[in-house]
Amino acid sequence: MKCMSGWSRRRQATAYWMILPAVAAMLLVHYIPMLWGFYISMHDVNLFTMVDWMNAPFVGFRNFVDGFNPATTTGARALKALQNITVYSVVTISAGYVIGLAVALLLNQEFVGRTFMRGLILLPYITPDCVAFNVWKFIFQSRIGILNRYLVQWNLVTEPPIWLVGPPALWAVTIASVWKGWPFAALILLAALQKIPPELYEAARVDGANAWQQFVMITMPQLRTVSVMLILMSILWNFNAFNQFFIMLGRDPGTAAEVPSTLILREAFTNLKYGIGSALSIVLMLILLAITTVYLYVLRGTAGAEEV
Amino acid sequence: MKTHKTRIRSVKALKQILVYLAVVLVALVVLVPYAWMISGSFKETLELQSSDVTIPELRPSWIPRNPTLRNYRDVNRTVPMLRYFKHSIIISFGTMIACTLLALPAAYALSRFNFRGRGVYTVSVLATQMLPGILFLIPYYLIFTTISQRTGILLRDTYGGMIFTYTSFALPFSIVMLRSYFNGIPLEIDEQAMIDGCTQLRALWTVIVPLATPGIVAVAIYAFIMAWNEVLFASVLTGRSTRTVAIGIMDYVTATGANWGGMMAACIVISIPVLVLFTSMQRYIVEGLIAGATKG
Repeated sequence: MKCMSGWSRRRQATAYWMILPAVAAMLLVHYIPMLWGFYISMHDVNLFTMVDWMNAPFVGFRNFVDGFNPATTTGARALKALQNITVYSVVTISAGYVIGLAVALLLNQEFVGRTFMRGLILLPYITPDCVAFNVWKFIFQSRIGILNRYLVQWNLVTEPPIWLVGPPALWAVTIASVWKGWPFAALILLAALQKIPPELYEAARVDGANAWQQFVMITMPQLRTVSVMLILMSILWNFNAFNQFFIMLGRDPGTAAEVPSTLILREAFTNLKYGIGSALSIVLMLILLAITTVYLYVLRGTAGAEEV
Repeated sequence: MKTHKTRIRSVKALKQILVYLAVVLVALVVLVPYAWMISGSFKETLELQSSDVTIPELRPSWIPRNPTLRNYRDVNRTVPMLRYFKHSIIISFGTMIACTLLALPAAYALSRFNFRGRGVYTVSVLATQMLPGILFLIPYYLIFTTISQRTGILLRDTYGGMIFTYTSFALPFSIVMLRSYFNGIPLEIDEQAMIDGCTQLRALWTVIVPLATPGIVAVAIYAFIMAWNEVLFASVLTGRSTRTVAIGIMDYVTATGANWGGMMAACIVISIPVLVLFTSMQRYIVEGLIAGATKG
């Protein structure tokens, strides 16, 4: 954008006035609480010190050490939670991406009812979390759920599995999350597919490239930038996942399906150990920061750096 | 020659059949949970409670044995759903208005002015999106408590506190979304307006806002839906007087009793505002989402 030098100073002032309300709101809600979060993580804020938490005793990094000490219940659970969220994220993101891409390619074909289908696939995405995951909770009910009906009826299992307790719970939540998550990937990838110039495919056909070669040599490279952003956003969202676990499994999902968000919530608001809860959430943030940095760094190392 | 042509035609036909099969499969995967939700909402409590996957006669079925409207009629009987609904409406509308009013000038400034600190500000807007919500929740809760103690202003479990919270959380993405919409409006239009004697602010109000209405509406609806659906903050910061539908709906199925029929009916009822808002402005929201996600 050109900067008009004559009244640029006045324009600067106008610009600052215009962003001021938004900056103020974000300072109050994001940055100041975040600084207090660091403060709390270094202090022993608990049931007893909570009333006057700003003067709680300083404990340095003890909350961080305690929070991840495998000898304590919290520490063992924190490590398990990190492991669980990694498994959950890897499966949810890859499945979501592959299904999203497949459906995007499908919806990019010519067929009757294409517009309708494009609207239809958005349904899971726009359905409120509290609705979608409660319905999935109903589907996964052991005795009255529709899933177990078919598993039993088709003799795939002898005893109806109890999905929402113990190790299967993580998979039940993962399945529900994939169902909820893939439409967003499909939406973004479809928009990107439609921006690929058709001439590229025509040129490839003239050169005798078959469908698979076209996909590998044209489609995938053209989707690269969008895929990078999409996967990065999915990592951030999924590592912070809370709603699906809280709604389907409740306040305490059990060790086998514990994830950082549910653990931190309980540690702070049920066990009233705010210091440890804050320390854990800061570690979660640092992990996300590290993943983002490494991810962007690795991608910058490969081709197409300036696009990222 | 002729056989070659027919072969090409039959390959094409086969491809078409495969495409339609795949489309049907996708539609089924999307719709099955909704079918189960709708079917459950018309089932009698007795049928739901007595069904058992291991006994063939009592298997849960898609078609309710004795379809009933009782779940809808009694939606407010055991759980004060209408009250939750009212709380959600107030909080979501408040968030929508506050968020749009704050995002509008900020997005316009980011799109039109080349001020110092613009890059830093844009990055900080985007960075807040990646931070875990839970990171803010603990300090938030404690700060709210302290403010209430010192000044007597209640923020926890009040509309003001919830609207303030949700506005700030919807704000970053709203700004990004709206900025990319403004970027699509040619700069010459502002310049034209200013040559005609408008100040920059008047140009924004009289020329740009009407042009950007679809983008603004998309942002407003995004903010509304975000507040309507939020679970984490609502689970801690709302109480008796502001409990939203997203949390309230869990009252149907508790340790002491499971009213799945009631819950499914409530699920349908609380999806309606979101579905109506979304479908009415689908095109703009989808464009905004794509822009916000990819051009950020």
